[in-house]
Amino acid sequence: MAIPISQVWTVVQYVWKQKLTGNKRYPLVLMLEPLFRCNLACAGCGKVQYPPHVLKRMLTPEECFAAVEECGAPMVSIPGGEPLLHPKIVEIVEGLVARKKYIYLCTNALELKRRIHEFTPSKYLTFSVHLDGEREHHDFSVCREGGYDLALEGIKEAVKRGFRVTPNSTFFDGVDPNSVRAYFDEIMSVGVEGMVLSPGYSYDKAPDQNRFLGRARVRKLFRAILSNRKKSWKFNMSPLFLEFLMGDRNYDCTPWGSPAYNIFGWQKPCYLLQDGYAETFKELMETTKWEEYGIGSGNPKCANCMVSCGYEPTAVIDGFLSLKGFWAMVKGNFSSYKDAHALKQLNEWPSHSSTPLVQIAEPAHTLEETNA
Amino acid sequence: MSAEVLKYTREQIETLEVAPGAVHENLEGWVPELATEAALKDALEKAFDYRGDVTITTRSGELIEAFVFNRHTGATLADSYVQYFAPGIDGKLKLTYDQIARLEFTGKDRAAGKHWEDWVKAYNERKAAGEKNIALMPDKLD
Repeated sequence: MAIPISQVWTVVQYVWKQKLTGNKRYPLVLMLEPLFRCNLACAGCGKVQYPPHVLKRMLTPEECFAAVEECGAPMVSIPGGEPLLHPKIVEIVEGLVARKKYIYLCTNALELKRRIHEFTPSKYLTFSVHLDGEREHHDFSVCREGGYDLALEGIKEAVKRGFRVTPNSTFFDGVDPNSVRAYFDEIMSVGVEGMVLSPGYSYDKAPDQNRFLGRARVRKLFRAILSNRKKSWKFNMSPLFLEFLMGDRNYDCTPWGSPAYNIFGWQKPCYLLQDGYAETFKELMETTKWEEYGIGSGNPKCANCMVSCGYEPTAVIDGFLSLKGFWAMVKGNFSSYKDAHALKQLNEWPSHSSTPLVQIAEPAHTLEETNA
Repeated sequence: MSAEVLKYTREQIETLEVAPGAVHENLEGWVPELATEAALKDALEKAFDYRGDVTITTRSGELIEAFVFNRHTGATLADSYVQYFAPGIDGKLKLTYDQIARLEFTGKDRAAGKHWEDWVKAYNERKAAGEKNIALMPDKLD
């Protein structure tokens, strides 16, 4: 795990404080979306399909600070849209750093090299750069040739200036795990702090609805990617969440773990689903019918979701609030996850092809496809 | 989540190879009949899901261009409302269901017609034509 001790300690203290005060539902990361406007037009994105008058709207720095205070989470992720298009993003970041929030500024980095001089390095500030794999794969994924090279230039400049940088990858159906592993080698050699990964989620509002991985295929893919790890690879994520993606753990979703705030208000129930909005964080927590969401609910909208915003809070809480979870987390940090079966799968994986879309009706054994 | 929606068992979910995506109705240009309370509620639910502007005619005859981003269904039409943004007006606006006389899906559906296969096809054609720096660009804001 590549997360600095000070950040881990802040989260540990926060989680234990919630437990000791009897608070069962609390946020870990606020997903603060200051705008939806973007300078990319990715086919898989479900976040930016709005009329121009909506895309022009933005949260003010004061609205951002009020949301952060109201929510109280120790970490703030700033996605969008592209946050670097917000004219007051520097003021927003500085205000959050002053509040000692650990910030992940999510960017496609097309503007990063040009804007980086406006920011000040801090242990509280991380640039989370959207990179979906090797050059060819990333450019195709974000529907823009040259996007990878621009992002890499931005990453290198940020690393050179002493910023924390964590490339952030989303993988959709058809991705080649061998290519992903080659990307890990390449991006770690640049000097980034650690990598962040997630399977794609079938946003209800995404224009394209045919590229999303089901849970069985997610586990197979991530077991191939994350088994037999190299020592040079670091992940800015809970090891338990990565084990969940590999099929080693069964977790339930913690939808309130990463609440989202944007120009519409507090999004119900989570960062990915839009079932309505609340005016206040308190209203979000008290009026959302949480039992209707997550894998246990049977809600079809949650069926394919193994995304970090819902399941990493579960993994973090498991790791910090139970001895068994803590020990597994410690072990995970030092394990290379050797797995001969996964290595065989990796070696036999069809290169540069999308496997046929087949749905397994009745598997012989639970989690058979990952040999878990 | 409404009660009539088909629910999965955990076992079914765990064995999904491919996640079935949502099926989007083509609502652009649709003018729903609002003859009953149920029809009005259903149409406003679709307006909430729609990624484009709608035009609302109020009972007083006012025409409102709106992007509906939230709805709240109460016991009666008078305590049910939509929240929306209107072009050129700052801030969130609210309208109760009982004030709505007509609804038209007049704005462009911003999520329609942007499929992965369209991008692959366009990319291959542009590549074959010798084009460099091929990209999909975001829609213009003005």
